[in-house]
Amino acid sequence: MHFLAPLLLIGLAAAVLPWIIHRIGRRRARPVRFAAMELLLRAEREVSARRRLRDVALLLARTGLVIALPLAFARPFAEVRSDLPAVTTHSQSAVIILDESASMRRRLHRDDTPFDVARARARDIVEHLSPDSEIALVLASEGSAAPVAELSSDRARVVAALASVGVSARRADFAAALRRATQVLASSTRGDRLIYVITDLQATGWEDVTQATLAAGPEIVVLDASGGQPWTNRAVVGLGAEPAPEEGAHGIAVVAEIANYATEPVRGLGITLRLDGSEVARGFVDVPAAGRARKRFVHTVSGVAHHAEVVIDHDGFPLDDRRACRVEASRGLRVLVVNGDPRTVRTEDEAFFLEAALRAGGSNFSVTTVLPDDLANRDLTSFGVIFLANVARPNAAAAAAITRYVERGGGLFISVGDRVDADTWNQTMKGVLPQPLGLKRSASALPGTRPEGETVDTRPAERLAPIDRRHPLLAAFPARGEGLASARFFQFLLLAPVPEVPTRRIVLRYENGAPALVDAEVGRGRVLLLTTSVDREWTDLPIRPGFLPLVQEAARYLAAAPSGDATASVSVGGKREIVLGADDKRIEVVKPNGDSRWLSPAPHAGEQRARHAVLFDETDEPGLYRVRGARADGTVDDRPDAVFAVTLDPGESDPARLADDKRPDRASARGAGGPPPRRRMELWHALGAAVIVLVLFESLLTLRFRRGRVKT
Amino acid sequence: MDARGDTRAPAQPLALDPTDIARLGSMSVRARVIVEGAFAGMHQNPHAGSSIEFSEHKEYAPGDDIRRIDWKAVGRVDRYYIKRFEDETEMRTFLLIDSSASMGYGRKGVTKLEYASYVAAALAYLLAQQGDPAGLLLFDEKTRQYLPPRTRGGHIRDLLVALEAAYPAGRTEPGRALAEVGEIADRRSLIVLFSDLLDAPADLSDRLRQVRSRGNDVVLFHILDPDEVELPYDEVTDFEGMEPEDARRLLVDPRDLAASFARESAALRERWRQACLEARVEYRFATTAEPPAEVLRAFLFARQRARR
Repeated sequence: MHFLAPLLLIGLAAAVLPWIIHRIGRRRARPVRFAAMELLLRAEREVSARRRLRDVALLLARTGLVIALPLAFARPFAEVRSDLPAVTTHSQSAVIILDESASMRRRLHRDDTPFDVARARARDIVEHLSPDSEIALVLASEGSAAPVAELSSDRARVVAALASVGVSARRADFAAALRRATQVLASSTRGDRLIYVITDLQATGWEDVTQATLAAGPEIVVLDASGGQPWTNRAVVGLGAEPAPEEGAHGIAVVAEIANYATEPVRGLGITLRLDGSEVARGFVDVPAAGRARKRFVHTVSGVAHHAEVVIDHDGFPLDDRRACRVEASRGLRVLVVNGDPRTVRTEDEAFFLEAALRAGGSNFSVTTVLPDDLANRDLTSFGVIFLANVARPNAAAAAAITRYVERGGGLFISVGDRVDADTWNQTMKGVLPQPLGLKRSASALPGTRPEGETVDTRPAERLAPIDRRHPLLAAFPARGEGLASARFFQFLLLAPVPEVPTRRIVLRYENGAPALVDAEVGRGRVLLLTTSVDREWTDLPIRPGFLPLVQEAARYLAAAPSGDATASVSVGGKREIVLGADDKRIEVVKPNGDSRWLSPAPHAGEQRARHAVLFDETDEPGLYRVRGARADGTVDDRPDAVFAVTLDPGESDPARLADDKRPDRASARGAGGPPPRRRMELWHALGAAVIVLVLFESLLTLRFRRGRVKT
Repeated sequence: MDARGDTRAPAQPLALDPTDIARLGSMSVRARVIVEGAFAGMHQNPHAGSSIEFSEHKEYAPGDDIRRIDWKAVGRVDRYYIKRFEDETEMRTFLLIDSSASMGYGRKGVTKLEYASYVAAALAYLLAQQGDPAGLLLFDEKTRQYLPPRTRGGHIRDLLVALEAAYPAGRTEPGRALAEVGEIADRRSLIVLFSDLLDAPADLSDRLRQVRSRGNDVVLFHILDPDEVELPYDEVTDFEGMEPEDARRLLVDPRDLAASFARESAALRERWRQACLEARVEYRFATTAEPPAEVLRAFLFARQRARR
């Protein structure tokens, strides 16, 4: 303890005054010879305990008062070592990136979460920064908003914003958060510009942060909110449903994938399957150390659409101990493949890879392949999806049939090739083409090297740009698009530019920006246009791992027949397009916590009628989201076919810590400019309060005893 | 003892305070003033002379004056009785005064011993006026002075002189004094005990009962200083005992004890009042602040009412 005016401590000598006065008072007591000593002593015995307590309390209160007064006037203070970096003492422009991703919800030892710790440390920084500093607040989870998006000197506002922030279930995206923080700091003219990242240092979310992007940016200070505690976790990282023929036509198999992130194996981990909310099976699973295990539940269901949920024994992070998905009992999807370039060598056949992908195990697709000339003779309405693969020039009758088919709700997948006559297509298939076809383009440069999936084909090629998983078609793909990213595209068709409309979206692009896969709504149906071939003539996509799921998901997406974890699931924070039933005027989405939201299809500018689908974006919590449709007559019915699951990003379950060499704080920042700062803590306020309390206490005590005397 | 004449309820007594009485020249004057004050309230004349009122019958015994034989009674019961008049109902009275050191307490005005002496002197004076013999026993832990009951001319003077000379000293032992008087009083007597009873042993109530059981009329005057009823001190005081060998001391702020002291004092009085009631002893409490004449008058008045 230190004092600003230590000389005033001389006054402490007065602490003996109450004792001296007490002693003097006793010595000056008048002696009296008294006859009724017996009565006096009896009376004394009656009150002595209370009186002594009062005397001691009074003496202590008065002594405390005499001590507290000179102490308070001496202005004492203590220097406490702050656990914040030294740089926090500088005047600066600072952006605090608060990690509120899903992993921050796990429980620490004292039942608080890393998020609680992080928020408290953020508040410490806000309160500790010099008064002229400016502060902004950015969140680290994917797609989150910035609570204080511009630099502000208003501490109260930042503290209030911190208090209002809640932890999310989203994946962390530090690249985006750092970009945003850098943008915020760009408006500052100060020399000292810092970004404080308060996180549990989970490696997930840092993948896209590169040293190159950090080099020119502001100084970054990373604060660990986990206390460095090692974290072991078990999680349900995958859940899917597939037919179970061994159980008959209505047999389904729900397959859960359990990950164990600990260095010790887990034996006998309890696992429960709930179907439509009821527990139907319970079992145990052994999961190897740092490995995964699959648990397959077989069950028989009646009806078509169901939803399943798998729950494992809870650990410190219960959010990932359950996962849900929609289950569809066997319902064959009839697919018509129109082969525009049949060959006698099977592997060179235009439809070879396409058919193989559609017929792959578990898809439950019924595939019919025809030549373009046979198209007009077919009843298209019996098919859920039609694939037009490198069809040269559809005749008028076929084009009219296809257009009618799509407008009535059918799904159409168009892939091109060297046989496609763009002009004819643009004329006859104008009604269903998302964009008019343009010139064929050949890649002119060798693609950049990628560590995975290289082939011996050395032709110049394009690659796909990073995928946007918010599109339902791509929701099942890993965040970085593994399986698609390695594909090479040697030739493709360019598309003629058209005005942007909300009913058309570019699902995939080449690295040069040209569209690779375009999604468009046509009437009540949907069309996907792939600007390259589905054989190996223009691309090696068919032999890439992503081709099979892309084709199957495209078929389901076009037929509006999602199944399992893939198409009926969306990641937390993602958007889900829900197609209204034929008679539905609006729909209600019921969240896992019971909250519901009514949605109506809204007409867009330039469209004569409303879209017959709605986009739901409030997917904040993992779980099953139920859908109900409201008809014009006021009746409301469940839509089991539209139920979808929102799933946690498996990366958030992985406790792997960010390696030290990948931490974005530089050596100078990590040391934070020397030893931790000392903070002066004024103590005289507390002493002043103690003086007031003691005065009140002494007065109350004296008054109480005087009153007691008056009463008697 | 009897108070003759009008015994109507007292009205507007003319009584001097103890301090005023203390200023009077001698104990005989004090006794006379107190008695006059007491009877002034009762509208009686204490100097009315001997009574000729019939009081009681006594069976004839050889030597009795045959002129006083009640022939009517002989006719009724066929036995010889002689009439006795009031002035002939001689009652021996013993005045027992506690002269221990504690009786010497008196912060303002007179001490308890002085006060007891004044009341005792007034009683003795009144008895002498009526021709009743009165004796005196001054005691502490032992009998300090004893004057047996007599009616001769100079006896009252000796008694008053002894009271004048009484001084507080020693420990108190009222039970022993009572026992001694009990031995002396061989016929129905009036025994009047003056004490503060502050350090009286518990067996005093047994002694009272014993003396009372022998047919004696016993009166206990409980005399306390007002300070012993309610503690008046208002600053830290070092209290010490008054009696010899009493080493008890207490340094205390009396204001803290005032309430409980008053309760203890009241409990003491109540305890003795109850003990007297059980022993059929008349209990009279007085503080040294009250006019002695008032105390005497109340005593006489109560006895008159009890006799009727």
